[in-house]
Amino acid sequence: MILLPCPWCGPRNVAEFGYVGEAGPRPDPASAGPEEWRGYLYGRANPCGWVAESWYHRMGCRRYISVERHTLSNEVRPLATEGAGR
Amino acid sequence: MSDHVRRAASADARGPIARSPIAPAPPVAAVAGWEVSARRSDADLTVTDLTPLAKVQVKAPWDGALAGTLGGPFGRAERSASFEDAEGDDEDVLVVGSGPGEWLALGSPGTAPDLVERLERLAARLPNPEFVTVVDLTHGRALIRIAGERTPDLLAKVCGIDLGETVTPNGAAFRSSVARLAVDVVRYDRDGTRSYLLHCERSSGQYLFDALLDAGGEFGAEIDGFVEPGLS
Ligand SMILES: [Zn+2]
Repeated sequence: MILLPCPWCGPRNVAEFGYVGEAGPRPDPASAGPEEWRGYLYGRANPCGWVAESWYHRMGCRRYISVERHTLSNEVRPLATEGAGR
Repeated sequence: MSDHVRRAASADARGPIARSPIAPAPPVAAVAGWEVSARRSDADLTVTDLTPLAKVQVKAPWDGALAGTLGGPFGRAERSASFEDAEGDDEDVLVVGSGPGEWLALGSPGTAPDLVERLERLAARLPNPEFVTVVDLTHGRALIRIAGERTPDLLAKVCGIDLGETVTPNGAAFRSSVARLAVDVVRYDRDGTRSYLLHCERSSGQYLFDALLDAGGEFGAEIDGFVEPGLS
């Protein structure tokens, strides 16, 4: 079982969350070209190592949270980002 | 004939207009327009359908002015002082901080329209306007109460949260997976006896009720019917 550290609810079973995907900055809609949008929407780095991810706490606070997960060991550590609230 | 049965019998003449998603265990009576179970149990662990209670959801900024006035911060359930009437009587409204910027107000059956109005008035009186929504969820959700010393043992079979005194003391509120459903759980002890309120989507009500009875079987769980006002 993976425990995800929710900044609102505390550590919770991963089954309470929806997986959103690798977190990354959204391109500027005013200047981004099709290539950049394609990369943002469909391109994934999928590294063997630490990756920043978004998860949705659908059975808890119903907020999006960000964590860092090691894709080999599934070790998880919190990642402080805006929108986490506290 | 006890008082609640007599009242139920008189309401029965008008006939119920509302039904809980949870089929009432016979005998069936009508209370405040709701079809409810009039079964009585003095078992050590009881499961009660409290769906007839008024349930109103409030959403507002989690760090805003309404959050300060409403009571029941995230993770806590409180009788709110904002709901005292002019005489200072406790109007039996329980405010549950069910999420960040999300509250659930529980009141006696039939009081939902009044509760909505008072919550809207409360929001309108804020010094600085903020975005607030007040929605009557009474007929869209199910509410179940389990009571008895073994309720933590029952809940531990279907929920992963630490039910110990340090993490979830009396008045604690959280939303988590209960029997694989997203359920608002409120620790609500009655006369020193452990009790929990469980609030879920209406369509999951019967399933949750059955799952709790099933999990409580080994502890002798029995159905106890609805008695006004519901939240004693
Ligand atoms: Zn959460």
